[in-house]
Amino acid sequence: MTEKATHFSEREHQICAVAHMVEDAKTYWVTGGGSPMAAILLAKKLYAPDAVYVTEDGVLGAEPALPFDPIMNMVSSRAGYRALQWGTMNTVGFHAQIGLMDYGIINTLQVDMHGNINSTAVGDYEGEHRRFGGPGGADSIAALCWRTILLTDQQKRKFVPRVDFISSPGFLDGSPGARENAGLPRGTGPWRVVTPWSVFDYDENRRLRLTGVSPFVTVDQVLAEMSFEPAMAPEIDVVETPTEEELLILRTELDARGQITDVGRWIEFRDGEYVFAESGGAGDTSLPRSW
Amino acid sequence: MRILSEGQGEYVRPDPDGYREWVRDHKSRAMVSKLMTEKEAVQKFVQDGDYLVYECTYLQRGPSSLIREVIRQRKKDLWLGAKFTWVSAALLVGGGCVAKLDVGFFLFGPVVESAIREGRVKAYEYSNVVMTNRIMAGAMGLPFIAVRSFGGTDGFKYSGAKIIEDPYTGRPTVIVPALNPDVALIHVHQADIYGNARVFGTGISHSEAALASRKVILSAEEIIDTEQIRRDPGRTTIPYYVVDAVVHAPFGALPGTVQGYYASDTPHVIEVVGSVMRGLVDAYLERWVYSLESQQELLEKRMGVAKLLELQQRETIKEGYRP
Repeated sequence: MTEKATHFSEREHQICAVAHMVEDAKTYWVTGGGSPMAAILLAKKLYAPDAVYVTEDGVLGAEPALPFDPIMNMVSSRAGYRALQWGTMNTVGFHAQIGLMDYGIINTLQVDMHGNINSTAVGDYEGEHRRFGGPGGADSIAALCWRTILLTDQQKRKFVPRVDFISSPGFLDGSPGARENAGLPRGTGPWRVVTPWSVFDYDENRRLRLTGVSPFVTVDQVLAEMSFEPAMAPEIDVVETPTEEELLILRTELDARGQITDVGRWIEFRDGEYVFAESGGAGDTSLPRSW
Repeated sequence: MRILSEGQGEYVRPDPDGYREWVRDHKSRAMVSKLMTEKEAVQKFVQDGDYLVYECTYLQRGPSSLIREVIRQRKKDLWLGAKFTWVSAALLVGGGCVAKLDVGFFLFGPVVESAIREGRVKAYEYSNVVMTNRIMAGAMGLPFIAVRSFGGTDGFKYSGAKIIEDPYTGRPTVIVPALNPDVALIHVHQADIYGNARVFGTGISHSEAALASRKVILSAEEIIDTEQIRRDPGRTTIPYYVVDAVVHAPFGALPGTVQGYYASDTPHVIEVVGSVMRGLVDAYLERWVYSLESQQELLEKRMGVAKLLELQQRETIKEGYRP
């Protein structure tokens, strides 16, 4: 069961990569559902049993009854099942404000070289732009958790030198103390960015730094899908691919309906290497087919 | 106190003393029945131009039947506290009810986008937690509250927030104006006729919104006897004396779920989300709001007993949702 899988989707790979980062006995504050939930719960089942799944609506340590009906990822009985506490958005916000939330995991629309997040407007906010839903809970997660993990896809338009609109804070302009000068708590901030193709951390200048690349793409392919040149780690790791056991749990327990993972292309292990499968992927859709 | 920077967004000026006087003069301490229909409640307590908050969402233990009634009565020029929203804000904008929005999170789509682009609706930027903290400050009777988030964002520039030099620590600190909405719409599991109310399970800021708002309309799945309240007072999440109207609204959160009571109506959820994303809000409102007189008629004509029972049966998790 712990052998490496030979067929998996980009999204499954990304979720497993995040699950490998989850630390035991740490709190993870997220908007409920989706890839962040899948990564945390997968890690809890295999590697980090005491990791705590905390959602924006104040639910602490739930053991969600999956699958959810569409959109019922918070304020529903299945999402809040077997929790340790049902609070509110205010109570969990205060927990985060006093430093109880170790990690945040955030799905992002657009991220920049200093880890700032845009979920408000692409284009010129005061002129022509396409409007999105606003920061929601992500602003507080990005501001208040000790470390923030951002998830996005490897696309040029998602990695930009400066986001069009900072909805949720990264290292802001990247200058030393920028977050503290804006009133954010000391010692917090972006920690990793994970795409299906790559993993980044931040260098001493608080600039995105490529540290790992998935075995089915090259460094050049990753860089070609970014609108700026990131810093490079001295050695670029190969991002570990999923095991059969991880996929079994994802597919049969955490996402039996494919609501989370059924996005992106498929990878297969063929003739000794990981390659994109020629068919069978969902293609470039932003919504799961099964939704 | 030194102001280091400030947002340029318009905001409702906090007036804690004015709010205290409102509470003194308008919040009856008498145990009088506030039970009324959704139509009466919205006619009486939602005025054009009000600042309105709703708790939770149209899809999750939200005051959906009250939101439909606000749209049905074609209220105008509302200013919405659009935190933790899926479709409520877009439906109210589509219904022509909205002039301004404080954004936390909601599903955009062509209807809201065009309203903002054409200047019919003005948006100001916050986040979910900043909005609930503002409501909490309103509930505490304060003029503002300090928050440790929101600084450095572009949303800050289009908000009523400021960064000050905190006189105690000397550190840059974000403050946001307290919010005392004109009206709050809150859906609860149980309430008595006076407004003592119980919310089971998690929520966003229902207790705070009830304390912070000049007028409070509750819709309740069940009306219970005050004797039940008195036997388990620790369960009371909202006390009667802040409540102005109690509407008995079984299945009031449809198409959303009410934890422990009924599951969401998935086809309807997909219909309304799709309508918002595709700009078909008019057709949605015609079918689910304008062509119906009331929540009662919606249950009879659009749902039916079999469907309602099915939604109840699908809600299999009860622990924690029954005293």
